[in-house]
Amino acid sequence: MTTIEVRELTKEYGTRRAVDDLTFTVLPGRVTGFLGPNGAGKSTTMRLVLGLDRTTSGSATVGGRRYDTLREPLRHVGALLDAQAAHGSRTGRDHLRTLAASNRIPLGRVDEVLEETGLASVARRRVKTYSLGMRQRLGIAAALLGDPEVVMLDEPSNGLDPEGIIWIRELLRRLAGEGRTVLVSSHLMNETASFADHLVVLGKGRLLADTPMREFIHARVQPSVRIRTTNPTALKAVLAQHGHDAAEHEDGHWTVHHARVDEIGRLVSAVGVPILELAAEEGTLEQAYLDLTSAETEFTAQPQEA
Amino acid sequence: MPYAPVLHSEWLKIRTLRSLLGALLALFAATTAFSAIAGVSETSDPEFDPLFMALSGVGPGQIAAISFGAMAVSSEFHGGGLRLSLAAVPQRGRWFAAKATAIAVPALAVGLVTALAALLVAKAGLGDAASGLTVGEQVRGVVGCGIYLMLMALLAAGLAALLRSGAAALSVLIPLVLVVSFVIGDVAGGATDFMPDRAGQIVLYQTHGGPLGPWSGLAVTALWTAAALVAGAWSLRRRDA
Repeated sequence: MTTIEVRELTKEYGTRRAVDDLTFTVLPGRVTGFLGPNGAGKSTTMRLVLGLDRTTSGSATVGGRRYDTLREPLRHVGALLDAQAAHGSRTGRDHLRTLAASNRIPLGRVDEVLEETGLASVARRRVKTYSLGMRQRLGIAAALLGDPEVVMLDEPSNGLDPEGIIWIRELLRRLAGEGRTVLVSSHLMNETASFADHLVVLGKGRLLADTPMREFIHARVQPSVRIRTTNPTALKAVLAQHGHDAAEHEDGHWTVHHARVDEIGRLVSAVGVPILELAAEEGTLEQAYLDLTSAETEFTAQPQEA
Repeated sequence: MPYAPVLHSEWLKIRTLRSLLGALLALFAATTAFSAIAGVSETSDPEFDPLFMALSGVGPGQIAAISFGAMAVSSEFHGGGLRLSLAAVPQRGRWFAAKATAIAVPALAVGLVTALAALLVAKAGLGDAASGLTVGEQVRGVVGCGIYLMLMALLAAGLAALLRSGAAALSVLIPLVLVVSFVIGDVAGGATDFMPDRAGQIVLYQTHGGPLGPWSGLAVTALWTAAALVAGAWSLRRRDA
């Protein structure tokens, strides 16, 4: 029982609704990407799950229990909210030691996570000497400290170098592979696409989507076909004949929109157009996300009349 | 959650911050130094009180105790640090109780050692002028002084939690102990006797007049401190972290 369950969750700050009647479930064994523009309520939702902010209404539970009823919660849920949370005057190791002590996590585990996050060599340096990427790694080390079944990371790739970004991607995949529940917020689409299996998308505090990532992309982005030929005239003719719309790019390749590669391949080979390259162009998460949010903007800009 | 690991964690937090250890060192150094200076000063004043003269280093020294308490709490308010602490220990009341204990114990220990050192140093300087002090009065002075310094550290801790800022807590308390008592002390008459610093310092005198005695004076300071801690805990429990 390691599922994060959010039920009709609402949080108001004064009159502003940061989270608005949100219901979703984060399941173990897969990486759930938590998407939405800045201010959509991702961080607020995470704080509500951790019991740091008080809910206005609704509930957020982990394994069916409210976070503040967990005994030694770091052993169940590990979270990275803010890489600046470690006090600059402590060493990285001392920072983790203070956290470990409160949940009776053995000291050996502190050195393990320092090793795992690549901080062992700077563990005895003060945090104020750390780069942003190193602080981020320290925050992730803190999240992993209690070997938790549930991991929640808010923008973990912030400030990481390319090597670090690959490392975090592999870490997330591994954690999910071990059967843990992994929720990762981000506003970087390509980054999220590289590790997420499932998506929860927020806009203005409301749930916009809760679907597997592949389905999310396929439902929103029409596939297209990339093709290159030595005979553009013949290519254009055959495509036009079958009602396809093709656009030529500067480097000489063509894109056929709203088409499948099986169909286009058959058409052009049937009439003997020489082909240098033929490939299916999958929609990207970014395209799908923009499609969703633009639809959402239209919806909010033109409210239906009663 | 059990209390002992939480207390252990809070104690580690204090031990691993140099600024907090520095504040405790400053408490010792400033108090003993000013008491030593007082020990070699003029003693012909008719209101001369040898016990207070010997422990007068507490006046400046308490600033360090107040800073210690305020900084120990305000170190949690750096960039989301409190969220991390409360994610580890979601029972906020218990967490704050552990924090207060981790402040009180070292403040009391260092306060007692400081008071004893200050008394011994100043007595060496005062010589015959301090010969009238009984053992009981000296013990009362030292113990009372240690408790007083602990209470001031906790008062600052409570205020820092209430105001969510060490600087804000210091800017309330330091003027209070440095200025208010001296400036309006004699003008306002009886009321200032019940201010936290005035009331708590009665225990440092060999003889005392006024409505409060040594222990009832400390009790008044303890009430102030308890009020600040309760207000701090209330604020912590009620607000979003």
